[in-house]
Amino acid sequence: MNKEEIFSKVKEAFVTVLEHDNFQLTDTTTADDVDGWESITHMMIISEVEKSFGIKFKLMDLMNMNNVGDLIRTIESEL
Amino acid sequence: MKFVKKLQESIENHSTGNVLCINNTFYTYKDFAVEISKIRSAIANTVAESEKLIGLVTNDDLQTYASIIALWFEGKAYVPVNPSTPIERNTKVFELTETKYVIDSSKTSIYKNQTVIPSSTLENTEINLEPKEVSGDDLAYILFTSGTTGLPKGVPITFDNVQGLVNAIDAEPEFNLVSSDRCLQMFELTFDFSVVTYLFPILGGACMYTIPKSAIKYFYIFKLIKEQKLTVLTMVPSIINYLRPYFPEINAPDVRYCSFGGGALHSDIAREWSDCLPNCKIFNYYGPTEFTVYSGFYPYHKETDQKAHNGIIAIGTPQKDTLYLVVNENNEEVPTGVTGELCLGGPQITPGYWKNEERNAISFFTREEKGKQERYYKTGDLCFKDEEGDFLYVGRADFQVKIRGYRVELAEIEFHAKSKSPKKVNMVALDITNNLGNAELGLAIESDEFDTADIFEYMKTKMPDYMVPGHVRFVKEFPHSINGKINRKELRTYFDIN
Repeated sequence: MNKEEIFSKVKEAFVTVLEHDNFQLTDTTTADDVDGWESITHMMIISEVEKSFGIKFKLMDLMNMNNVGDLIRTIESEL
Repeated sequence: MKFVKKLQESIENHSTGNVLCINNTFYTYKDFAVEISKIRSAIANTVAESEKLIGLVTNDDLQTYASIIALWFEGKAYVPVNPSTPIERNTKVFELTETKYVIDSSKTSIYKNQTVIPSSTLENTEINLEPKEVSGDDLAYILFTSGTTGLPKGVPITFDNVQGLVNAIDAEPEFNLVSSDRCLQMFELTFDFSVVTYLFPILGGACMYTIPKSAIKYFYIFKLIKEQKLTVLTMVPSIINYLRPYFPEINAPDVRYCSFGGGALHSDIAREWSDCLPNCKIFNYYGPTEFTVYSGFYPYHKETDQKAHNGIIAIGTPQKDTLYLVVNENNEEVPTGVTGELCLGGPQITPGYWKNEERNAISFFTREEKGKQERYYKTGDLCFKDEEGDFLYVGRADFQVKIRGYRVELAEIEFHAKSKSPKKVNMVALDITNNLGNAELGLAIESDEFDTADIFEYMKTKMPDYMVPGHVRFVKEFPHSINGKINRKELRTYFDIN
């Protein structure tokens, strides 16, 4: 799976949870940039991403995840 | 006031220790004393003696915590408003309390109708921690909770009420904070649970760790537990619901107390969580804002004390000086084992909702106990007492629900949603359980589909974000029960959110 495909699948997970697609995801996107992305929806996005990629994140990785780039890198390492 | 004097002593005696850790920066009790002194000097110089209720913008910084203590030393009450709540609602709170002064540590304050005390840019003064005399009937704070008519409901708490809470916790030998404790303070200061998460650490000379507003709080809490080796956790149960998938990776031997409150604690998750904290005592606290945070607790233990009803851990027994009474519709006591509404009496009871006689007539009543007139608060929670004297939680008596630990009146959400709707149609707010076991809000609209963007924009200006429904569904015709009421249970099935 290339980076573009990962991005597109991650975006799908965001849309499913947030119920809107009014945002761009790049490496530097943080919760401040996306309407509705906060503590609770973050947990749902994480669980949605795990489901769609068939992976399971480690708490240690999630703990230090600060932007979308960190999320993509962690997904890559799990695939 | 005894507890205020004790705050002074603790701040003086622990001056080299840390009081707060905010976003990785530590502040000592000495730093705290400096800020308290500056703020109280500004209060004394600006605010008339007769003005007792002072607004406080609850930023996540040293000055905001220092402001609470400064106000108490000056014999005044804080009226907290959350900076991320719509200004309109916060302004309403200040209007209702006729607040003329606001302590605000923000770079620029948005409050124009009040005199602002800019707590982050005050002149240095001499340390002054000597509290002024206060009367026990004077207010220590007023918190606003969701109300049914679209207006928030004010709950005033007196210095005597807070002293009652301190006496009750001091009388509990199982719980005792010391200066080496590192305590989680995850609550907004507008939320009553925060009172126990700043008051008891300060009285014990311990250090509090806050959660930055931009952090993903569940992971940040874990990071604090792991990296800062927290010893005392006070949380709402929804925190561990969200962390549950990661329990196998959590082992926190330093945690010695974990207190829950603000929502039902389920026994399966309590048992699993308890495995993550091998050296910890777990307390399941109960108490409404109207009764000064806590009224009692159940000491949970995964092997020996796991009493529950319908999978919800018992709320145990009332704490020192508190009376529990379970009543029927006529406010008459029901026998042991019979479910009724739980009522609370004792020194921690609020004097009554702020300027709301109508509501007070419904929520409070008096009855004779041992020859003395005792005033009771009706909690709206259904409970029963078992043969061993423990109280067990059954459910809510009305349509008030808990979202992320906050109390929400569904009627308030419906009120605001309907008032902005272009179509006069029926709307029902519902609490829906997601696949992590937490309540989320849904709005059901009895209509063909139409654009709700304006309604939601409007709601965001009227209510805090946790009250704005995350899901909306259009239903052609609402299902009704036999007696003609909207069948909320069936309506929930339209929200397939998982």
